[in-house]
Amino acid sequence: MSAIPEQIELPKNYLSAIKEALDEEMARNEDMICLGEDIGILGGAFGVTEGLLAKYGKHRVYDMPIAEAAIVGVATGAALNGKTVMAEMQFIDFISCGFDQIVNMLATYHYRTAGDVAPGVVIRGPAGAYGGGALYHSQMNEAWFCNSPGLKVVCPSTPYDAKGLMKACLRDQNPVVFFEIKELYRKREIEQFLPEEDYIVPLGKAAVRREGTDLTLVSYGQNVWHCLTVAETLAEEGVSAEVIDLRTLVPLDEDAVFASLEKTNRVVVVNEAPMTCGFAGEVVARICDKAFPFLDAPPVRVTRMDTPVPWVKPLETYVLPSVEKILDASRRVLRY
Amino acid sequence: MKAKSAKDAHHGLPSGKLTPEERLEALRQLYLARYFDVRLIKEKKRGRLRGTLYSSHNQEAVLVGSLFGLRPYDWISPIHRDMPAFFLKDLRSGWTDPNRMGMSIEEVCAQVWGKVGSPGRARDNWSHIGSKRAHIIHSTSMLAGTIPVAAGAVLADRLNGGDAVVLTYNGEGSTAQGIFHEAINFAAIHKLPVITLVENNQWAYGTPYELGCPTKDVADRAKGYGIPGVVADGQDVFDVYDKVMVAVDYARAGKGPSIVECKTYRAYGHGDHDDDRAAKYRDPKEVARGRKRDPIAVAKARLISLGDLTKDEADKYRPEGKNASEVTDEDFPPEVVDYMKKGIEFALESPLPDPVEGGMWVFREDV
Repeated sequence: MSAIPEQIELPKNYLSAIKEALDEEMARNEDMICLGEDIGILGGAFGVTEGLLAKYGKHRVYDMPIAEAAIVGVATGAALNGKTVMAEMQFIDFISCGFDQIVNMLATYHYRTAGDVAPGVVIRGPAGAYGGGALYHSQMNEAWFCNSPGLKVVCPSTPYDAKGLMKACLRDQNPVVFFEIKELYRKREIEQFLPEEDYIVPLGKAAVRREGTDLTLVSYGQNVWHCLTVAETLAEEGVSAEVIDLRTLVPLDEDAVFASLEKTNRVVVVNEAPMTCGFAGEVVARICDKAFPFLDAPPVRVTRMDTPVPWVKPLETYVLPSVEKILDASRRVLRY
Repeated sequence: MKAKSAKDAHHGLPSGKLTPEERLEALRQLYLARYFDVRLIKEKKRGRLRGTLYSSHNQEAVLVGSLFGLRPYDWISPIHRDMPAFFLKDLRSGWTDPNRMGMSIEEVCAQVWGKVGSPGRARDNWSHIGSKRAHIIHSTSMLAGTIPVAAGAVLADRLNGGDAVVLTYNGEGSTAQGIFHEAINFAAIHKLPVITLVENNQWAYGTPYELGCPTKDVADRAKGYGIPGVVADGQDVFDVYDKVMVAVDYARAGKGPSIVECKTYRAYGHGDHDDDRAAKYRDPKEVARGRKRDPIAVAKARLISLGDLTKDEADKYRPEGKNASEVTDEDFPPEVVDYMKKGIEFALESPLPDPVEGGMWVFREDV
């Protein structure tokens, strides 16, 4: 007899975690449908929806025409009439084509109807740079939506969170824009064993990824991992850095940031989007407004330069946040 | 929701086969739509209302004709110029029936006066109302933007085993929006019961038809989606009714969407703020021509020819051909005036929203 067990438990990557979340929620909630370009027969440009069409059928998984505004609008209408809808943007950059439907139709529905309609729509899509995607396949445009009241905005950095946050979003019944970091989709180093039992990660709760006492690094998505590398380097120099992963931008867990600052008194905030009106600026503003007494140094932002994301590697590296830039900013804050 | 009651049985008959009482009811609803409009114009002129009024004057046959044959559970998606549609929906189920699936005149008037008695607690302006209960999709200022929402609503209904249709209202100007195409394209692919009603009143604010639409008729656009497109006489309530009924039957049978273009004419400016300017950018002769066939007069002529109404009976109430400033309550049946009065009374009694409500209901858990 072979000693090989029937099933070997393997760690899951970020993409599989999201796929599992969608599959499990489809199974749990018969009123859930999925809309998106190429999500059915092909299984999605990245494979996130692979298998859903075969399992749940064409009346629950729709290969949509190339029309992001219609995807969002149809999702809104179906949600108005009792469905829970996952709407995929093939790349989050393309969300601009559905922008009006998101910010004027979907985001305002609950407000303008005084709660008559709570549209349960999760708009999700691959986001972020670092892979040579160039201008139209590299954006982090989360700030557009953080500035549109009525939308929750979520960006996980680990497989565990990706699954748990996606499930939380699909059960939330408020509209959510869910930013998946495509550079993390298949990254081996971040794979995790996921619980067998059903779990969610609640919206609006940040995570402390590493504890520290001298400096707080605040970020989300891809740059959480850059911050962890920075923290390791600083540790070798005798500096103890704490890393906060926001996980949800709206609603923002500002208490988690303030609690960390109370210990460390210094902060660097990192976002991948351009600096002007970016989310790091929002975090810094709230720190200045509500946690100023904790500060021993001015808060510093590390962001993309105020440019589009260029294509070839040296240019891309030049404009984006990096371990080096975060390290440099940290040292400035520590020296102050 | 599938409500195949006896009450539904008459929905779908061509206008010639309706009972005389039913056809007279259509005339009464034309009076009601007109009275609502002229009364609000007067209220606005007296400075009693906030915001802008988008008059439906001269376009009432489109509203009444399109709504008259719907089943209670069908959906509609009106826009700014269709205010009467909100309370006309399912009015055939009875003017005073509290369980009918339209909005009440009380709810609509509360919205007009900006009071909490409206379903959205007056958080958005006059024309942006709606009600999930009444199956009326809430409009926004982004024209044609509700068509995909309508498509989504009936998609969900089909998935639940229902046979509801949705009637979306659009000006000819909104057909230039990309979302107009995106939504109908999607509905056509999946044969969804989405009827795109186009109220072609010839003017998109200050822009004439030919500067917004390249085709002779808006209905021509249907060819591009492989769906039927028909033109109705928007001044004739029974022609609108007959053409919309064909589209509704087609959609309910699972054959898919269609476009019904109703040719009509905008009597006043784009909004009441625009009336003086509209007098300059529009040729008075064109306006006179456009308003010549008043929908109330057209309906009366038809009812007389069918023997439903005598000439004397038709002359009893005569708002047709008159401006808002020229008509009085005597020009309308008393039950129409009373109906509206009840709405106004309710609105005046309903309180203004508490200012703190401005910060509420952003998210579901906020209240």
